[in-house]
Amino acid sequence: MNKPGNLIGWLRKKLNGISRLWIVECLLLLAFGAVGARLVYLHAGPNEVRIQKAQDASEFTKSLVPFRGRILDGSRNPNILAISLGVHDICANPQMLTAATNTELAVSILSAYLKMSKEDVRYKLRFSDKKFAYVKRFVTRDISERLWTQITNNHIKGIYLEEATLRSYPQNNQACHVVGFVNNAGVGSLGVEMTLNSSLTGTAGVVKGMRDGKKHEIYTRRTEEIQPIQGDDVILTLDQQIQYFTEKALDDAMAQHSARAAWAVVQRCRTGEILAMASRPAFNLNEYGAETDMSRMTNRVLSVVYEPGSTLKPVTLALAFTEGLVTPETMFDCENGSWFYMGRILRDYHPYSRLSVADIIKKSSNIGTAKIALMMGDEKLHKGLRAFGFGRKQGVELPYEEYGILPRLEKWSGLSCSRIAIGQGIAVTALQMAGMMSAIANDGFLLKPYVVKSIASSDGKPRFTAEPVVLGRPIDSKVAALMRYLLARVTEEGGTGTRARVEGFKVAGKTGTAQKPVPGGYSETAYMASFAGFLPADKPEITIVVVVEEPQPYHTGGVVAAPVFAQIAEQTVRYLNLEPTEPVEGAPGAAAPAP
Amino acid sequence: MRNAGKALVIIVLLLLGIGFLLLASASSVKGMDEAGDIFFYVKKQLFWLFLGVLGAIGAALFDYHWLHKVKLNLFLIACTAILLMLVFAPHIGKCIKGSHRWIQVGPLSIQPSEFAKLTIVIMLSTWMTLKGRFATNIKQGLAVPLFALAAMLGLIFLEPDYGTTFLLAGVGAGIMFLGGTRTSHLVASGTLGLMLFVLAVMHNPVRLMRFLSFVFRDAYPDAAYQLTQSETSFALGGVWGVGYMKSMQKLYFLPEAHNDFIFAILGEERGLIATLGVLFLFVLLMLFGFSISRRAPDRFGSLLAFGMTMLLSLEAFINIGVVTGCLPTKGLALPFMSAGGSSMVSSMVAVGVLLNVARHIETADEHMRSIKDKDVYALEKAPEVSRGVRFQKT
Repeated sequence: MNKPGNLIGWLRKKLNGISRLWIVECLLLLAFGAVGARLVYLHAGPNEVRIQKAQDASEFTKSLVPFRGRILDGSRNPNILAISLGVHDICANPQMLTAATNTELAVSILSAYLKMSKEDVRYKLRFSDKKFAYVKRFVTRDISERLWTQITNNHIKGIYLEEATLRSYPQNNQACHVVGFVNNAGVGSLGVEMTLNSSLTGTAGVVKGMRDGKKHEIYTRRTEEIQPIQGDDVILTLDQQIQYFTEKALDDAMAQHSARAAWAVVQRCRTGEILAMASRPAFNLNEYGAETDMSRMTNRVLSVVYEPGSTLKPVTLALAFTEGLVTPETMFDCENGSWFYMGRILRDYHPYSRLSVADIIKKSSNIGTAKIALMMGDEKLHKGLRAFGFGRKQGVELPYEEYGILPRLEKWSGLSCSRIAIGQGIAVTALQMAGMMSAIANDGFLLKPYVVKSIASSDGKPRFTAEPVVLGRPIDSKVAALMRYLLARVTEEGGTGTRARVEGFKVAGKTGTAQKPVPGGYSETAYMASFAGFLPADKPEITIVVVVEEPQPYHTGGVVAAPVFAQIAEQTVRYLNLEPTEPVEGAPGAAAPAP
Repeated sequence: MRNAGKALVIIVLLLLGIGFLLLASASSVKGMDEAGDIFFYVKKQLFWLFLGVLGAIGAALFDYHWLHKVKLNLFLIACTAILLMLVFAPHIGKCIKGSHRWIQVGPLSIQPSEFAKLTIVIMLSTWMTLKGRFATNIKQGLAVPLFALAAMLGLIFLEPDYGTTFLLAGVGAGIMFLGGTRTSHLVASGTLGLMLFVLAVMHNPVRLMRFLSFVFRDAYPDAAYQLTQSETSFALGGVWGVGYMKSMQKLYFLPEAHNDFIFAILGEERGLIATLGVLFLFVLLMLFGFSISRRAPDRFGSLLAFGMTMLLSLEAFINIGVVTGCLPTKGLALPFMSAGGSSMVSSMVAVGVLLNVARHIETADEHMRSIKDKDVYALEKAPEVSRGVRFQKT
């Protein structure tokens, strides 16, 4: 058993004769040998995982964002309603930026160029442990490029630009409900932007290749490059000019009658194209995010259902003529304005004793219309209303279209027939009313309304062109012609719609004044004033439906809605250059024979 | 081993040739990005090589015994100390990533610690030769040289440059060991030094993180990034390499690819054959250097040659050890290969001193030796006091 002292002594004896240089040499040789063994292991050992990781890290994939297609109006020289602009998102790496020595300089440059207060900039960079933050999104290129020069000149690290596109609406709030907007994620969220999102979006491109350790692409080692396909342009049937007339007329009416809301639609009755569609109150498309009142975003033309009142009477009459139950000369007893039927009283606005069918529509007699409907019976009226498109979607290319409310036949009470015939107990959309009026104007053909005229690729190749679609034919051309004649009388002297007249044109239409339904009955103060009509009455071209909600103090369709109709119609016929059908008073050729 | 000097020249030329080809590849991306010239670093390095060759020729031509003069030693020590302190001076000193290692002279940055290496070798060799057999004495053999060494290392440690500190501690200990200091003294003070070093590391979060990330690599993936990338480079290279100029890792995946981690790029581009080859060249450099030391005409030359060889080979070993993940990350250059001017010049001067000693092997004779080597003289004149002196015969 050696003591430790003996062991050291033994070592000393052994080492005494050996040169110290040799010891150092051996140690170093051993060390080099170990490193050599390590090298062999690193080069040729099990290293598939390392190689795979390195290859993954050097892979580069970037998607190229396509520009969204434009939305244009349908006039001869298309006006741009929506367009995408190339902009930059200003991004930052808060971790890198706050760790740098020139943070304050960076903040002051950002605040000066982006027109933000320094506090706001600092707030955006508040998460100093994160590696990504937006400082400001959608900055126009002239600003972002000047900012970038400043940043590179001052050697600021941690701020970079990201390519982005900004959806811009040059007309601000014009046709806002039809055009719609795109949310921050680039997805259409209202109007045509929503329904045609896939066409407008286009296809993203991709770049594949290698990148360096700073995550920058190495351009010489690019393996794949697919350019993005720009989104398709959508050309609407809307005409910016007519849209303007319509919106102006509605704005005037809103102010004049202190109305809660107003909406109107202009349709070309031979095709079903929507020439204008406006809803008030409206919002600014470029600042949709700031809008707090969501009801402003409602496209009331197709998303709000209302009781149409008298404007529905032409349907009852047309159906009665089709069934051969009455002729225009058939006389009805209008009970002096008050008729007791099935335990309820039905009143006329103006009392009449006897009226012909032609005058029932001209004077808008509730009692007369109800009696005609009762002759027809529940089943035929229901079927006829369905045929005219009530209670179902029209299929326009816009979101949130309502069905309207047409009660199922089983749910009709004894009273229903007489009330639905005069537009109570049924709810419709303005678009359905326009469709009905256009069907009468168009020899009985009910057409599908549409707002998209065509879709074309960004380089102009057509992808889709809309054509009129017939949804059905509720009445034949004879009845339609008769109805046009009878509806034209509404705007003649003694009719309810005299204020809808347009100089030089014979106007056919129907007024409507409906009390708004409230729980337990109908409101005595809140009305829906509407006018639905077309012109020229003999050779119809355009259908216009106007609805004004809760006008004050006047509330009848003839006083409130008919002038709006006339205002829109007058400007539109001049703009469309329609040939006048009637002599204009005071004009040189006015010596026409008296009617 | 007769023509050790010639062999040394060939080895160094080979290393320089490989080094410059390698640098041209490894620094191309960085040079292009920073100066718009893929040969930016190569040109810079060529300038330093020119200075280095001048230094080497100068160091080889004069008689190395000049270095044994005490006044010259004091002058060198004073100069080095001033230079080492200048790195902290404002305007003159340059700070990169928190380390004050450089002095800016016009367009050139100089690393004083590189010249401190030479000074320390010369200083310790002179001292150990002067003390001769008294090296066993704890004061003469340990305390005084250790104090001088510690003072120098302290300055370098403060920069902070732990790599060079570590290297010079090793080289200094080696010279003292060879100079005759007792092993027990060296082991004791080495242990003490290591403890101080550990304490210092524990008080420096950056270095502590480096060490922790070396030991527990999976727990600190960010801190171990450079090391992981370095090892990946070798894996990518395999046995035969991916081909000259085709390195992927130099594209900023591997930080300091042109500098401290240039060996990893060699591994990636030329594979196992090249890395083992360069390793072998450094081993040969060490063997020939020690051979010169062994056959030096006198004790001072022997210690000087040993010290210079240690400088080169130990630095190469530490660098390759770091790059291959055997040692924790330190900022040490690979002699003759890494981009870096001061390192190039000091390495070339070290080679020059080695050649100088080698030149004197042939011309030495017994007469000169007995005059110049006081120890041999003392040993021959007074054998009775030689007890305990472990003198190594040349």
